[in-house]
Amino acid sequence: MALENMMETIALDITEATKTLFETMILMDLKYDEASLVDDTQIKTDVIGMVSFVGKYHGVIAVFLSQRLALKIASNMLMAELTQFTTEVKDAIGEVSNMIAGNVKTKLTARHGEIQLTIPIVIAGEGLSITAVNNSPIVNDASLSCFSKDPWLMTPFVSGNEKFNIGLLLKESNK
Amino acid sequence: MPKVLIIDDSAVMRKIIQRNIQQSGLMVDEFVEAGDGREGLEKAVSNNIDLILCDWNMPNMTGIDFVRALRGSGQKNTIPIVMVTTEGGETKIEEAKSSGANGYLTKPFTPEQLKSKLGNFLLVK
Repeated sequence: MALENMMETIALDITEATKTLFETMILMDLKYDEASLVDDTQIKTDVIGMVSFVGKYHGVIAVFLSQRLALKIASNMLMAELTQFTTEVKDAIGEVSNMIAGNVKTKLTARHGEIQLTIPIVIAGEGLSITAVNNSPIVNDASLSCFSKDPWLMTPFVSGNEKFNIGLLLKESNK
Repeated sequence: MPKVLIIDDSAVMRKIIQRNIQQSGLMVDEFVEAGDGREGLEKAVSNNIDLILCDWNMPNMTGIDFVRALRGSGQKNTIPIVMVTTEGGETKIEEAKSSGANGYLTKPFTPEQLKSKLGNFLLVK
């Protein structure tokens, strides 16, 4: 299967996993649109929750969202009104990324063989942008491939009147 | 009254699991928490634990290594263990069960799914 087709299939898996997560543990409304390729210079965000995967294919699944939405999601998950962007909120967004990536990984493994996930990483700030620093052909520390020059396949979502995106970077590993 | 050990590197997930159990009507007297398999192993052997819920992917010692270590330790090695993890698929479930896990629940889960899974090991009030 061509990498582009494979990415589109994975984007559908991401949408399905996100729907399930919002229906079971976040309990917020969710709308979504079709995924499209987005250049890294167009990405501006407050919070990035990302999980890398390695195996026959390697890459990153990352959730890009505002601090306001991160607070709403964490509050719903914990059934508590959180107003400060604390470690607990970062932890919740890490788990959101982990649950989405974990479900996608199960499907990827069934189709393409064993794939390993990394522990989730959450980066938070204001108006963060992702900038290419190099274009290493194979990234052993796959987390760093977040800063790739390749475009992200980005699926746009809306929840609680807030937009957020889930992006996918994917490459075939060296044989 | 039963004492439950929750092993997960996410404090938020430990809190969610605990809240879901408390609201489910399942009888639990006390919760003990651990952030990875190594800490879980220490707490499993030093506390009077009746049920263990364990994540798979954690730093220091993974959940599957924890299961193998506890089952091979000769101490408290009959405590029921339910894996609660994002790792899905038949291969992983088989690996967990053949290593000594007694139950398996994939994240994300609803409160009803958690109650149904733990109802095999805990009484309802």
